[in-house]
Amino acid sequence: MKLHILHANIIYANIIVSIKSFYREKTVVFFRLAFPVILILVFGTIFMERDNEIFDLSIQDLDRTPSSEQLVEAIRLSKRFTITKVSPAVDAKTYAKTHKRNLIVIIPKDFEMSMMQKMESDTFGTPVSLNQLYDPSAFGVTTKLGVLDMVLAGINQEMSGKPPLIVSEPISILKKKYRFIEFFVPGIIAMAVMTASLFGAVNVNAELRQKGVIRKLFTTPITRIDWILSNVLYQFILAVLSTAVMLLVSYVVFSVSLEINAWLVVFIALDVFSFVGLGMILTRVAKEAESASAAADALMFPMMFLSGTFFPVEMMPEFLQKFARVLPLYYVNEGLRAAMVSVDHAAALKCALTIGAFAAVVFVLGSMITTLGGEST
Amino acid sequence: MTQNPEYAIEVTNLTRRYKGFAAVDDISFTVRKGEVFALLGPNGAGKTTTVEIINTIRKPTSGKVTLLGMDVTQKKYKIIPRIGVLPQGFSTFDRITVKETLQYYSRLFCNPNTDINGLIALVNLQDKVKVQYRNLSGGLKQRLGIAVALVNDPEVVFLDEPTTGLDPRARREVWKVLLGLKKKGKTLFLTTHYMEEAELLADTVAIVAKGKITAMGSPGELIENNANYLVAMLKSVDENVFEIVRNMGLAPAYDSQGHIKVRLTHTEDVRRLLNTVKDSGASFAGLDVRKPNLEEVFLKLTDEPLAQGFVRIKGAE
Ligand SMILES: Nc1ncnc2c1ncn2[C@@H]1O[C@H](COP(=O)(O)OP(=O)(O)OP(=O)(O)O)[C@@H](O)[C@H]1O
Ligand SMILES: [Mg+2]
Repeated sequence: MKLHILHANIIYANIIVSIKSFYREKTVVFFRLAFPVILILVFGTIFMERDNEIFDLSIQDLDRTPSSEQLVEAIRLSKRFTITKVSPAVDAKTYAKTHKRNLIVIIPKDFEMSMMQKMESDTFGTPVSLNQLYDPSAFGVTTKLGVLDMVLAGINQEMSGKPPLIVSEPISILKKKYRFIEFFVPGIIAMAVMTASLFGAVNVNAELRQKGVIRKLFTTPITRIDWILSNVLYQFILAVLSTAVMLLVSYVVFSVSLEINAWLVVFIALDVFSFVGLGMILTRVAKEAESASAAADALMFPMMFLSGTFFPVEMMPEFLQKFARVLPLYYVNEGLRAAMVSVDHAAALKCALTIGAFAAVVFVLGSMITTLGGEST
Repeated sequence: MTQNPEYAIEVTNLTRRYKGFAAVDDISFTVRKGEVFALLGPNGAGKTTTVEIINTIRKPTSGKVTLLGMDVTQKKYKIIPRIGVLPQGFSTFDRITVKETLQYYSRLFCNPNTDINGLIALVNLQDKVKVQYRNLSGGLKQRLGIAVALVNDPEVVFLDEPTTGLDPRARREVWKVLLGLKKKGKTLFLTTHYMEEAELLADTVAIVAKGKITAMGSPGELIENNANYLVAMLKSVDENVFEIVRNMGLAPAYDSQGHIKVRLTHTEDVRRLLNTVKDSGASFAGLDVRKPNLEEVFLKLTDEPLAQGFVRIKGAE
């Protein structure tokens, strides 16, 4: 018996058949490859717009000098604002109310004069000021003010010809600045690999069993281990393929900056092992195919929303964050982000060990209780 | 009696229970090498259970089974490469073509020398080489299943109901393939519901009912030993005749042509039957008396009325 546990050529034959069956069924190809890509495209487009948002800005020029006009032009050139000019004759407050403006920049009457004085004295005295009339309760106005400050700072620097003494750099908890899409793509990779592995293990096997294909296989030299390894390897190959497609689209369409390193492969493999293992357990515990796939759904949906696939876990209340930490997908998400976004090897290793332990337990358990034949007696 | 090299299969006091219910109940038989052996029996008789115990995929509750001299419960991995199996209701991967399917199974047997084209020709699927399994008709699927059972050039081939669900033409096509295998000297172990199939193909037929073998022998012997009665056929359209015969204490039944058939245990019964019907004044066109055929023997041995069998045979055709 010892010599008959694993056969490379049988595993090869199974993988060939699985891959042929896969690409000959177009709906499966769509769900497996195109669906995650569509998610990335849709969410990526929504969030890309936020990243490069162009704001409305009303400017009331009370000075009406070449200098003030130059300033307006400089703001316009920053390309972050669509500028509406407000006539100096009207009252800015009333205008803001009637025209529903949440921010009006007012260039004071003595703007050019103050500028001249400032240039001549060349001291660090009080700067020339602009008045900002804004509605603090309005949504997004702080972002707008922040962007305006940045633009003005740039203009200042150009006019004085000196580098700024102090710059404020946005510091995030991550080492480098990242965009939402760069947070999102690893989450979708983890989720797509999870769903495919779980469904593959539950549905494909249930179907083959029900149709009697497994019964025929049991009359050939194939072993349980051959069968399980074939499934896992096939799922892994598809996971790598589907990840490659997702990454390619993300690079081409959104020019994401995500690191690709060996960790990526490690986490995909652990994702596959964990959820194929879980699928095997569900198949055995639930007996009937329908209840197994219902159980798979019941496990997958909370995992998708609570383990940081679509938004950071830190955004959730404390008790849900605690809950997230017992979900296996959380460690795939965190691990992939540590590997691809922040490139933090220590953090990636920690996640890999956690999900690795989980994968080992469910996979071994799943393999032990899976039977190829109709009988266990 | 064990380990006789002449025997491909030896079954001794085999019993298989499911939760106390004996699906196979203390059966014994042997199959010689090169012999075609058929288990003939109605639904639920225990045929599949018996076959699957012999081909190692189910476990017996008690008894001893050797296949090619090896204990089936001990030597699964030694036995499997030397046998071929067409399971009941054979099915394989939907989107894999005929040729790819054969390549796949031949790889499972690590058998790079399988003559795939030869197998395709054997089951006459040359025109369907590139057709996916899901697009084959039932008869073609079954023929592919037989080819699959042969990829490892097995010494013993098990075929569990190879023609169930096929139309008469498709069934004849399968028989042709099986007769070809028989000619090649393969040991075939066959299960079937159909007497004609057993009669045509088998050297030895074992009739099973309710887990027991009720009769065994060559088709000729079975008729010889169990045809200790006569079958009378009354050609009549008069409905009263049926009642009259039943009132004689006999068990009449209509056959597929609407004639009345009845088993007669004694020669005198023929005269008694004829006189009774004549005396009643009922009209009838004639009386035929003959020895039963295997079909009728089978129905007797499985304890079924003549008519029920005929209805089923007709439905199957
Ligand atoms: N796994 C099982 N658990 C419980 N009972 C079973 C099992 N398999 C078979 N049986 C029962 O054992 C009896 C024999 O079944 P088997 O499948 O061997 O019959 P068969 O002769 O092959 O019938 P068919 O012609 O319908 O295929 C039936 O009553 C069946 O219900
Ligand atoms: Mg059966």
